[in-house]
Amino acid sequence: MRRSDAIANPLDRGIAIAGWVAMLFLLFPVLFTTVVSFGAGELIEFPPSGWSLRWYAHIGEIHRVGAAVLYSLLIASCAGVIATLLAVGIALCLVRLPLPGKALVGAFITSPVAVPIVALGIALIQFFIWLGISFTWYSLLIGHLVLVIAYPVRTLVASLALSNPSLEEAAASLGARPLIAFFTVTLPQMKPGLISGFLFAFLISFDNYPISIFLVRGALTVLPIEVFNYISQNFDPTPAAFSTLYTILLSLIIVWAERRWSIISLSVASEGGPGGKRSDR
Amino acid sequence: MVTEAVAMPRQRPGQRLAIACLLGPAAVLLIAFYAIPFIRMLAESLLPASGTAGGLGISFEHYERLASSGRVRRALARTLRISGWVTLWTLLISFPLALYLVRAGRTIRTAFLIALFVSLASSLIVRNYGWLVTLADAGPVNQLLIALGVLKAPLRMVYSEGATIVALVHYAIPFMTLPIFAALLRIPPSLSDSAASLGATPWRVIRDVIWPLSMPGVFGGVVLTFALSMSAFVTPLMLGSPATAMISQVAAEQFLVQLAFPFGSAIVIALVVITFVIVVAFTLIVRKVFRAQV
Repeated sequence: MRRSDAIANPLDRGIAIAGWVAMLFLLFPVLFTTVVSFGAGELIEFPPSGWSLRWYAHIGEIHRVGAAVLYSLLIASCAGVIATLLAVGIALCLVRLPLPGKALVGAFITSPVAVPIVALGIALIQFFIWLGISFTWYSLLIGHLVLVIAYPVRTLVASLALSNPSLEEAAASLGARPLIAFFTVTLPQMKPGLISGFLFAFLISFDNYPISIFLVRGALTVLPIEVFNYISQNFDPTPAAFSTLYTILLSLIIVWAERRWSIISLSVASEGGPGGKRSDR
Repeated sequence: MVTEAVAMPRQRPGQRLAIACLLGPAAVLLIAFYAIPFIRMLAESLLPASGTAGGLGISFEHYERLASSGRVRRALARTLRISGWVTLWTLLISFPLALYLVRAGRTIRTAFLIALFVSLASSLIVRNYGWLVTLADAGPVNQLLIALGVLKAPLRMVYSEGATIVALVHYAIPFMTLPIFAALLRIPPSLSDSAASLGATPWRVIRDVIWPLSMPGVFGGVVLTFALSMSAFVTPLMLGSPATAMISQVAAEQFLVQLAFPFGSAIVIALVVITFVIVVAFTLIVRKVFRAQV
């Protein structure tokens, strides 16, 4: 815009400095964890006395890490896929169909994100004990499903609201059956919402501790619980190696999804505001 | 039915079937495993303790115990205090960050947005662990403060209320920055330009034009940050101590340690109600003061 003004103006310079300081604050713990994960010492030390990759190999020593990874992947994948499929139906009803009490229905469906997660875990474990299905993998899946369903609903409502209904009407007027029009016209337009909704549902389930801590016992275990326990009992850099690996994988996925489907612009567009959708608030 | 037909002239029988098929499975899931468990929890919190038979079978004794329990009262006060500080600091850090994002060039903006998004999607345990090592006795913050001569010996920073606040601010920054950024993007640049051409200083443009117009985003971010802090559980568990327990931890320990289900339920219900009341009061204040449509 007005580059010369931006340089001359001390306020703009102050904003730039504040922005960079905020970004440094956001990145510093991540970068620091990465550095100490390559340390050779038995304990976390800075600066490291030597460099080694052995803590990466040591990730395998986290208690029951194999079972925990498998259960976490199973629960997060199922929760992500089922939540996204259910959300397609919900979003179509909320955006395209004449549904009575739309705002209320939307508020109810997205309200699990607003209640304290611990409250959800507590309510569910009491209910599952009463039903006699507590501490099973499917009761854990149900708990995660309730928690994550709001995220794909939000992203799908946003991408439907941004899409163009007249394209479907055009397809219909050219003789396409409703189902054909849905799969060839509507669904492709929902793709960014599908991808980022699934991604968020998967990641939130994969990382969840407060619900799982109530719903998990005995042989059933998930990754956040085992990593949390390891952190509270050990002081070696293994969790740092785990964190670094997690962050690198996550960054690759996000950059790839942003390049391919611009998921970030979609989520910025879906933030509420005078012009934004309100039914998902 | 008649009024419905008038209000919804386009609802055909086929559409009614479509709504039932599309919404049905999710409705069954959420009613069975979300609404009913919460109603049962509410009922549990109103259950009389064994031995004292109430006339209707309803009693508020768990809520009375809540008000008289020193530990619950202290945890609640601490949770409110922490949430207030976290909201304030997160806003102070995120608003300039969002302003910078709007003005920055394409490359920096994309890089910053990806960093914010990765942070948002990242594991909470991983992020808290980062602060655990950063604020450790021999960690970089202590080393820097000693090198600068501010401290003589390492200060114990982890397992405290302060460490909990720092980690929660770190957690909340993307939740605050992204809605503010979205709101700032909607402000037409011509407004700032015309204010400037009428003689407003850059500071006045921000204070009198940009800040009021960014209110929908600020409001969304503030409410989200406050609610996240009120219900924080993992962060105080990792960076605090039993002496700095927040209200979610006290509720959880009633279930996991004390096995006092009705009392734990009462704490959880109280937390939900208090958070809700504060958010509604805040909404009314913002509407009145800023005349913003939020």
